[in-house]
Amino acid sequence: MIGYLIRRMWQMALTLLLILTVTFLLVQAQPGDYASFYVLDPDLPTEVKEQMRATFGLDRPLWQQYLIHMRNTFTGNFGVSFGHFPRPVMEVLLERLPRTLVLFVTATGASFYIGFLLGKAIAWRRGGFLEYAATISGTTLFTVFTPAFALMMIWVFAFKLGWFPVGKFLDPLVWRGSDVTANSVFSLMLITALAFAVFAFWVLFALKRKGNTGMKRLSIPIILVAALAIPLVWALSGIGTLALDILKHMVLPIVTLTLISFAGTMLLTRNSMLETIREDYVMAARAKGLPEKQVRDRHAARNALLPVVTSLIYSLIFAIDGSVIVESVFSWPGTGMTLLEAVRSEDMPLVMGAIVFIGLFSLLAHVIVDILYVYLDPRIRYQ
Amino acid sequence: MYTFGRLTALFFVFVVLIQLGCVVREVVVTPTPDPADASEPAEPSATETTAAQEPTPEPSKPEETPLPQEERIYQLGITADLTTTNYWAYLGPDGTMWNQYVLTGTKPTLYSYSDQRFDWIPSLAADFPSPLIEEVVGEETLWSTEVDLKQGVKWNDGTDVTADDFVFTAHTANELQLTGNWPSIVDPEFFDHAEALDPYKLKIFFKKKPGLARWQFGLAFMPIFSKAYWEPVVTEAMKAGDSTEQQKLLYAHVPQSEPSAGGFQFDRWEQGAYAEKDRNDDFYFRDSLVTQYANGAYSESKPGVYEYFAYGEPGEEKSLEYTVGPHFESAIYSIYGSQDAAVLALKKGDIDFMLNPLGLSKGLQEQMQGQDGLSTIENPSSGVRYLGFNFRRPPMDNKAFRQAVATLIDKEFITETVLQGVAIPVYTMVPEGNKAWHNANVPMIGQGLSRGDRVAEAVSLLKGAGFTWEKEPRVSEDGNFIEQQGEGLKMPNGEPVPEMSLIAPSAGYDPLRSTFAIWIERWMNEMGIPLRADLTGFNLIVEKVFNTQDFDMWILGWGLSIFPDYLEAFFHSRHSDLEEYNPGGYNNPEFDRLSDELLAETDLESAQQQVFRLQEFLADELPYVVLFTTPIVETFRSDRIEFPYTESLGGLQEAAGLPTIVHIK
Repeated sequence: MIGYLIRRMWQMALTLLLILTVTFLLVQAQPGDYASFYVLDPDLPTEVKEQMRATFGLDRPLWQQYLIHMRNTFTGNFGVSFGHFPRPVMEVLLERLPRTLVLFVTATGASFYIGFLLGKAIAWRRGGFLEYAATISGTTLFTVFTPAFALMMIWVFAFKLGWFPVGKFLDPLVWRGSDVTANSVFSLMLITALAFAVFAFWVLFALKRKGNTGMKRLSIPIILVAALAIPLVWALSGIGTLALDILKHMVLPIVTLTLISFAGTMLLTRNSMLETIREDYVMAARAKGLPEKQVRDRHAARNALLPVVTSLIYSLIFAIDGSVIVESVFSWPGTGMTLLEAVRSEDMPLVMGAIVFIGLFSLLAHVIVDILYVYLDPRIRYQ
Repeated sequence: MYTFGRLTALFFVFVVLIQLGCVVREVVVTPTPDPADASEPAEPSATETTAAQEPTPEPSKPEETPLPQEERIYQLGITADLTTTNYWAYLGPDGTMWNQYVLTGTKPTLYSYSDQRFDWIPSLAADFPSPLIEEVVGEETLWSTEVDLKQGVKWNDGTDVTADDFVFTAHTANELQLTGNWPSIVDPEFFDHAEALDPYKLKIFFKKKPGLARWQFGLAFMPIFSKAYWEPVVTEAMKAGDSTEQQKLLYAHVPQSEPSAGGFQFDRWEQGAYAEKDRNDDFYFRDSLVTQYANGAYSESKPGVYEYFAYGEPGEEKSLEYTVGPHFESAIYSIYGSQDAAVLALKKGDIDFMLNPLGLSKGLQEQMQGQDGLSTIENPSSGVRYLGFNFRRPPMDNKAFRQAVATLIDKEFITETVLQGVAIPVYTMVPEGNKAWHNANVPMIGQGLSRGDRVAEAVSLLKGAGFTWEKEPRVSEDGNFIEQQGEGLKMPNGEPVPEMSLIAPSAGYDPLRSTFAIWIERWMNEMGIPLRADLTGFNLIVEKVFNTQDFDMWILGWGLSIFPDYLEAFFHSRHSDLEEYNPGGYNNPEFDRLSDELLAETDLESAQQQVFRLQEFLADELPYVVLFTTPIVETFRSDRIEFPYTESLGGLQEAAGLPTIVHIK
């Protein structure tokens, strides 16, 4: 396993090198440069334009720019953003990341959970009304034109019904006067969710090891108590209103994202389940007289989970990429919108930084999935 | 595997519980203001006006309403985030419109423009400056002027705005060789140094005699920074190596509680969400009464503080009158991801006005029709789109050819019939809305001619210059179409007119310019002029036109300043090198002389005459065929806010939504 991981790391480094080179060349292939923004100001003397080019490092030959870029990337320095001059690229990206993660990780979780439940159910009872209804509505939503659907959701639920805000991630009237930044609230929300997930895992596994049925039954109440304590702590912290405001703004984009993406997981689960329910061990479980629910959930669904978990890991990792369309329509300024703005304004360091960031995480996702496979399916062994 | 479904379910239980917990807390403990309530119209207006319908603005002084001041928030929508809150950086590499919208209104300037008419008026200065004089300082001969400052103008930390602040700002820009917009404000070729003769008397020295563009409409408009706040930052920055590093350090400073002497104090920028600036209660000009008169006179007064008159004796008829504010506590700039989202927020009442340099798109304008509580206004934009020629290649260097091309382009047909009025035909480089500098009497080549007359006129012009055809174009008897297309057009030297291309933005970038390009191609080919419209990306056009000068004709546009010194920049022969602003290479000694005179001119009235003359010259010479401008259409919540005027070049967005004078109802 260790040898395999080392080999994978080498492959990752080579792939990353390739990604960096191709990205650099693609960005350079665009006509013009950032300094064109200033070329079109007739009041600027030539020497000032030259100085601007020197400031952004655009006066150097291409190969030098490439080497500087590679050196910066491998030393963890993505340079300075042209569009947010002189803020470092990493600072801009890290500022946007929590917002994207909170929204997209939640939406990904929701769509996978709903998709998995529905997929499991429709595979178990094929030919029923639920299968037709879920498949037709799911695939319709999956193929809908996202910007139009997102705008329609805003128009109906935010504008006409007034249930939710019209985009953005906070209401300035709620936030004005507070000293807390939105990013700190986003980060705290992420930390809380992570801490809760770790705690819930610990409770479940700790009590499971006890082997006592009574103790096992305690796990859910303990977790529920913890879940109830969290909003209480937030409320007492003085920033509960701010977190609530963010949550209020999250509802509509999450519902929209879930609606347009749950069908993927649903169909994947359904197909995977259809294969597993034909397996001998499922028949054996039934022959033993186990209840249908137990056969479905513990024997069929658990084995059908492998491709779904793989897909979930990739989706979670790619959540850092956000979605240009959804972020734009819902005015949710995450990494997706940042990348779009950077491309539009030819902010090359920021474009490169964002792509490298995404590239690194996607490579990491592949390794995580490889490792996870070993634990999820004991039959898999890497040489 | 066992825990996957359960944990995910628990996570959502957790999320829901958080929401519930916070809802309870919000309801019980801290009720927060609802934006919809805050913007609830007292008496919704059902009327919707356009520029065409709108009467000439009457002098207005909206009544104060009994609402408590702290309840009044001017809510604006913008569709891109700020990139800095550092004013040095905003005038440097972060010179975006979005930064401008939010950051302006915090710094004093010596002089400024009056509303609507763009008269040059004193602001921090007590009066107009002394005439420029030549004097010997040390071993140098410099030009100098003196300016008296108003006394009692304060930063909101309680200290006076003094001549030292001006000196500090100008010297910092000069010594750090600040880039971006700074060199056009503090031009290192002209500015030498400034001295504070006393706290309220300033003396400015120039290396050579500055014209209006460098002094009155350049340095005199420089935003003045608080020396007390910025001196330590600048001193620290100057310790860095070269000027690039010094600039980086200066631009990287994030101001905290920076003193303001404008109408507002910048408060907060929540990145990606909103920016807020608060009213500066110590704003010197607050409650001043500004009056403009129909006879051109201008007056400002604040009882017991100051009174100022300019441009003649006030007449009977007032054209504009308002009281300076701000008339509310805060201005909040909400950031939306797209114009659609901002428009929905405007319709819903979340914001009062949407700032966008391009105004509302056509589709969104239609959405605004018939909306209660909203008013739509239309103003000419402060820019033009033009067709340019490469003078280095024949026949573009032939004046008759350019005039023939201009004659053939039926701007009225394209703007009114094809584009259904979304563009306005233009014949001069100074837009009509720039009232002080626009020459309404420039020759308008081809205006009002039928297609047949245009072709006949163009044939006549080309023949007169020695052009010949193998087959001359012929118009139908009714004069409505070309019966016989021209073929084999030859230049006066007998050589055939070469195949030419017209590069223009594609429809995806600008459908208006691409439509013009397609029609121009058609009309030229009817005449036998072999022209092909190449619709391409904006960056590629910039590359070909400005960086390599590899083109025949091109269509682009310029956003224009109020003082038209750009005429010199665009057409003087000294700017025809690569990456300069005269990429077509227009070269006319007479024009060069006239434009040099304009740059050196220091008298406003003489400069106006020179600008008029230059416009006439260009309308005849046609280095550019000016095509059209677009109206800026804007919508605001007239049930919530009231502007003293709505007619202004570039729309109200050009004045950042008039935050210092708008009234909240």
